[in-house]
Amino acid sequence: MKPTTYMTQSTSRIPHDILLFEYDVFLVGVGGQGLLTIGDIIIEAALRKEIAASFYPTKGMAQRGGFVKAQIRLGRQVVGPNIPERGADLVIAMEISEALKAVRFVKPGKDFLLFGHVWPPTAVMLGKASYPSLEQVCEQVRAAGAKVHYLDPEGLPPYEDTSVPANMFVLGAAIAHVGLGEVLDFSDVVHIVQTRWMRDAERNIFALQSGLEANVERS
Amino acid sequence: METKIVTGNEAIVLGALRAGVRVVTGYPGTPSSGAIGSLLKMDLKDRHVEWSVNEKVAFEIASGAAWAGQRALCAMKMSGVNVALDSLISIAYSGCNGGLVVYVADDPGTNAGMCEQDSRSFAMMSDLPMLEPASVADGYWLTQAAFDISERVGTPVFVRLVTALANSYAAIHVEDPLPPAEREAILERDITKYTKAGAAICTAQHHDVIARLEKAGQIINQMKLNELQLSENPGGLGVVASGVVFSYLEEGFRIAARFGFERDNVSVLRVVATSPFPASDVHALLCHCGTLLILEELEPHLERGIYVEAQKAGFDGRIIGKLDGLFSRSGEYDVSQVVQGLNRALDLSIPDDLFQSKLQAESMAAQRPITCCAGCPHRGTYMAINQALKRLKLEKDKVMVTGDIGCTILGMNPPFYTVWNEVSMGASVSLAQGYVHAGVSTPVIATIGDSTLFHGGIPGLINAIQHQIPLTLIIMDNGWTAMTGMQVNPGTDEAFQPTGNRSIDMAKLIPALGVENFFVVDPFELDKSATTIEKALMLPGVKVVLSRQECAIQAQRRGLNAGRVRVIPDNCTLCKQCITITGCPAIEIGEESIVVDPVLCYGCGLCAQVCRFEALVGENLI
Repeated sequence: MKPTTYMTQSTSRIPHDILLFEYDVFLVGVGGQGLLTIGDIIIEAALRKEIAASFYPTKGMAQRGGFVKAQIRLGRQVVGPNIPERGADLVIAMEISEALKAVRFVKPGKDFLLFGHVWPPTAVMLGKASYPSLEQVCEQVRAAGAKVHYLDPEGLPPYEDTSVPANMFVLGAAIAHVGLGEVLDFSDVVHIVQTRWMRDAERNIFALQSGLEANVERS
Repeated sequence: METKIVTGNEAIVLGALRAGVRVVTGYPGTPSSGAIGSLLKMDLKDRHVEWSVNEKVAFEIASGAAWAGQRALCAMKMSGVNVALDSLISIAYSGCNGGLVVYVADDPGTNAGMCEQDSRSFAMMSDLPMLEPASVADGYWLTQAAFDISERVGTPVFVRLVTALANSYAAIHVEDPLPPAEREAILERDITKYTKAGAAICTAQHHDVIARLEKAGQIINQMKLNELQLSENPGGLGVVASGVVFSYLEEGFRIAARFGFERDNVSVLRVVATSPFPASDVHALLCHCGTLLILEELEPHLERGIYVEAQKAGFDGRIIGKLDGLFSRSGEYDVSQVVQGLNRALDLSIPDDLFQSKLQAESMAAQRPITCCAGCPHRGTYMAINQALKRLKLEKDKVMVTGDIGCTILGMNPPFYTVWNEVSMGASVSLAQGYVHAGVSTPVIATIGDSTLFHGGIPGLINAIQHQIPLTLIIMDNGWTAMTGMQVNPGTDEAFQPTGNRSIDMAKLIPALGVENFFVVDPFELDKSATTIEKALMLPGVKVVLSRQECAIQAQRRGLNAGRVRVIPDNCTLCKQCITITGCPAIEIGEESIVVDPVLCYGCGLCAQVCRFEALVGENLI
């Protein structure tokens, strides 16, 4: 094989001056909440609009109940996967305590979507360790100069008497309330959800729609 | 050609398929596991892909194939290279015929909890070329380039990724895979090439490997893999960036432009091939620039080489990097290091806190130590060890329980606090022997997982048997290489082995080694397991307890449950013993009694076995 056949794809050969916008999303939560699925859907929706995308998920070692984060960088042709501190246009936090781990990363003046779910570690459950209050977390986000958008888990409606996936609810809210909707097309997201969960699509679309219509408190 | 969303790991193997690779081997290790993992999901004809027993074996298999003239890829994490190194150095001396590419993934920032070692050191030590993609897309074509260089020079070639690329997804253009070239396997008898029989042969081979690296450097220069862009006016800043760090450069330039940075005055050397050292490009940069900024994660490899070149070139400008104290040898880079470096080099007055949050919000977060999954059989083994020690009236902090790699490390965490240490694959068995020789008067216990035992534990066990060291080895056999994502290992049940593979039964293997006191227990049977361990601890010589039960995650994926646990709320006193002893994530505290999450619960019944009030009842235990 001649080298020329594979030289066309070199990073540095992609023109880097074509730039429409840049949008970085930092996600945090706990393993089992479906956080990484939100990431999957965002980059697929971005690519449907031909927006360049990088998605860097970091799972802890535990299958479930461990800290999970993901970084999505949209609109950059040449892009390193890590978002710098104070660099994210949007933080999506799916658990109150884990939200604190994303505070460093939100860009001043930008959006921090906080889903108020509490997943207490065992020591907290046993009363042997403390757990931060919602107000403490909001205070930290505000101290970082960001806008808090609080999404109450109580707003998660049941679907045919069963629970609704929180991740799609949160994604719906992010699209409606914090600027992700300006980047992605909701119809693309619906299409991706439909193809992803052939059998269980309705429940997920319902969750997405509920998030879209959910009340998000801004402070 | 199609556009696909793939990870860096997948890009490497797709590149290898495009290069017509015939043999792919490796051992699972975060962050590299996804490479072979994704291949095993494909329907591949005419190619052999396997999880080998360890990295050394994997590398030797790939090398044998490459010596016989075929293209081979070997994948591992950075610590895997430690294991393969003995053969790697030797085979580097011999060279290869078919293309031989070693894919290694490093973990700056220790996302997976291992040493932050820099594999570029291995390339230097073995005199092998190393290519470093800056993006997922680069991984695809550079793997092809690596095969090309390997065959043209006759040397193994490294391709190195870091976690941020290995596990990142991006859209890349992928061409159809090419079938392996139709080559007859060659059998070449040449002791001067394939043996180290004698000083003359070794010395000649040493000269050969040095010459091959030089030739690789020439080819890399012809291919223009490293890219040098000199600014129009000399005397300005030169930036050297390698690997993933290069992908932050333009972003950093744009940010710095807000503070008066002028892109046109900067020269850039993008280093794709970090081995051999890009001396001529560096020399050109040194002759053109007044100040150099070196951007590389982990060790200052390029930077040290640049100091040497600077001395040779009589360069008297500044060199900014790690050796002047600006950047750390630990952690990942992002755009902030680029900006910080430009600020230092050009005095741009960029505020320090542009990318540095002063908030300590993370310190307020609840600790979330990793623990066993619901239904994890290891939970039962730790509980049984703790129980056995209690029955023998031994204090837990006076009994050494050595630990090993994998899910079996979870025993160091609450609520068990059973395991004391974790070093490397198979180390638990040998460390335990050292503790015995050191004169520890209490029983010494070693714990190890199944894949880890096969990987590196067996030599240590054989050593213990030969020397008749009094210790108790507890093998926690869950049937899978679980921590890295459920790969098959030699002990995995035959039903789940690839077609035509066999399973090796430790229950036959260990007694055959001459272990007389060998016991098999079911970790879901707490009392029996504790009794067996208690008995083993009191016996002389090497005792082995095989604690065997399949990983619950895997069993649940097949719709299996070990049983069912029922809560009888009236009996529950909310004493929380079940949580305190098991730490099971399926148990929560309800209003009037504890609650078991029916979806999470695997029905192992361990909680029921520690409940003193019959508030938890295990049913249908298998």
